[in-house]
Amino acid sequence: MTITLSGVSKVFGDFTAVHPLDLTIPEGSFFALLGASGCGKTTTLRMIAGLEEPTGGTVLLGEEDITALPPHKRPVNTVFQNYALFPHLDVAENVAFGLRRRGITSVRKQVEEMLELVELGPLAGRKPRQLSGGQQQRVALARALINRPRVLLLDEPLGALDLKLRRQMQLELKRIQTEVGITFVHVTHDQEEAMTMADTVAVMNAGRVEQLGAPDELYERPRSTFVANFLGTSNLIEAEITEAGGEELVLKATGTDSVLRLPAERCAAPDPQTGGKLLVGVRPEKISLTHAEDDDGEGAGTQANGTGARRGAVNGANGEGNGGADNRLTGRIRDAGYLGVSMQYVVDSPVCPEFSVYEQNVERDARLTPGADVVLRWRPAHTFALDATQDADAGTVEEAL
Amino acid sequence: MTATGAPASEGAAPPTGTGPLSTGSAQGDASGTAARRGRRKLTPYWLLLPAGLWLALFFVAPFFYQASTSVQSGSLEDGFRVTWDFTNYSDALAMYGPHFLRSFLYAATATVLCLLIGYPLAYLIAFRAGRWRGLLLVMVIAPFFTSFLIRTLAWKTILSDAGPVVGVLKSLHVLDVTSQLGLTGDDRLLATPLAVVCGLTYNFLPFMILPLYSSLERIDLSLHEAARDLYATPATVFRKVTFPLSLPGVVAGTLLTFIPASGDYINAQLLGSPNTQMVGNAIQKQFLNVLDYPAAAAMSFILMAIILIAVSVYMRKAGTEELV
Repeated sequence: MTITLSGVSKVFGDFTAVHPLDLTIPEGSFFALLGASGCGKTTTLRMIAGLEEPTGGTVLLGEEDITALPPHKRPVNTVFQNYALFPHLDVAENVAFGLRRRGITSVRKQVEEMLELVELGPLAGRKPRQLSGGQQQRVALARALINRPRVLLLDEPLGALDLKLRRQMQLELKRIQTEVGITFVHVTHDQEEAMTMADTVAVMNAGRVEQLGAPDELYERPRSTFVANFLGTSNLIEAEITEAGGEELVLKATGTDSVLRLPAERCAAPDPQTGGKLLVGVRPEKISLTHAEDDDGEGAGTQANGTGARRGAVNGANGEGNGGADNRLTGRIRDAGYLGVSMQYVVDSPVCPEFSVYEQNVERDARLTPGADVVLRWRPAHTFALDATQDADAGTVEEAL
Repeated sequence: MTATGAPASEGAAPPTGTGPLSTGSAQGDASGTAARRGRRKLTPYWLLLPAGLWLALFFVAPFFYQASTSVQSGSLEDGFRVTWDFTNYSDALAMYGPHFLRSFLYAATATVLCLLIGYPLAYLIAFRAGRWRGLLLVMVIAPFFTSFLIRTLAWKTILSDAGPVVGVLKSLHVLDVTSQLGLTGDDRLLATPLAVVCGLTYNFLPFMILPLYSSLERIDLSLHEAARDLYATPATVFRKVTFPLSLPGVVAGTLLTFIPASGDYINAQLLGSPNTQMVGNAIQKQFLNVLDYPAAAAMSFILMAIILIAVSVYMRKAGTEELV
């Protein structure tokens, strides 16, 4: 069932946890509220659950106004962050709790089916403390799902699990959601988790939704520096617009002659004018790294070395023109890290002191070691531009620390 | 010893042997390690020693001494001798049956009252008190700063015939009702069963509240939220989650109240009358006034046996091992 939050806000004392918020969560979707701790995402979830009363605004479930409804009267269930399993009840009774409260006495078959769904059938008689973290997590899920809620709320459900188990449970949750077909609202601080599981992600920051959209849209076309940095990594270059108005924006990186191009539709700033400033961004994996000796100047797609050739081939295969030349910068490798599936380079460039580049670990150029002069290239179609008035470091790890 | 096939010449192996591994060239080293390991193994026992000695001196020894006293016979003039005379027990039960009955009745009533008064208070302190929590806990313990005797004497003043409590209750005709129930008589509060039960309840209330508080305080508040989220009304949350999880505290609190209350004699002595005497009063009288030590010892053992049986039945019923 569709959840509609309109103008919902929450104030604790003199701290505004959630600024007036409008949000529509469509029926059957897997919706993620993503943000760092303290951004108001859990408070938002608790207001949907009824565990927190909004300071203002209304919460609609379908057409019904549930703003003033106590939690036990809402057809909504929650999987809590620490699972909150009842320690004095066994697994089966934990799962049956909601059914019993609604006066259903013959719960056995339903409990069995639900435990089957989360693959915990043989553990029905155990007490929660006799289960591992992952098993407890599944009990919490079964305990909520058995009530066939209109909406299932998940508050950092995988936060306490180790990485491997978390990956597995991510897929499991996605499978279960597809199977039962109810709306999931998932709160997480883990951007990877949000992107893997959700079909719509709302990125929250300081009590506001920064951007809402499908994971690839958020990643490919962030509309604020916070989103650009919080979801993955972005290289942001301050640049001045030299040509605006057409289908393509042409800019010049501040303090250099490097020309950067991008399609005008990929600019998030309103009404870019010639002479105005923008932050030009590109994701590290979109960049191809060439040793300076192999560089042939301004030409595109004709690089001699392997990586360049590969990229050229990809461009060709896509069948879409580059709209002219690649964006091209020069720099010197400061640091190279071996990650197994990829190489991570940090490149010193006049326009951006710490340029991140990820290269697929296929044919490594042995010369690409710290100290080597390199040329960075990427396509204008992979470039985005943001309003330059924002803090370029918003949402980065450094800022969080 | 450990080594099954070890030659007899190695008989000087370290006592808490590390087994066959300790043989060979590094014999000296190995025995040093073994000794250290042995000492480490003994550490817990050393730590137990003071408490063990204390128990042996002040519990085990008196226990056996009293046990032997309880089967003695004779008189104060001729001296008491162990004659394995169990008539002390049957006589005690025959003579002081009503005292035993009263003891358990009063103690049980006081325990129930303590639970009824203490639970809401402990709940309030644990969940609702916020920053007043510390202050409230201090107030619960505050009576302990005054001696047990003085506190009970104070009740004597409060409940005195000319006191305000009696006056108010009389004018409200409450005393008529309680005297109908046999709890009071002659328009008085003092020297009635009600006064004794009130004194017991008052004196043992903190022993109920503290364990209740500590078990309630440990309950994760998200369990309340989870229950509410799973369609439980506030009353059901209490019935199905809070109360079951506080059971260890209920058990501890009732035991800490009931056991000392059933052996108490101060309250009955100061607030009661000869008709409200408890077994504690009888034992005290036999020990200190009549000087019939065997009878007093026998009564003590009967009291202890009844409490032990009652407690073990209660513990099994409450099923505390099953709880967190």
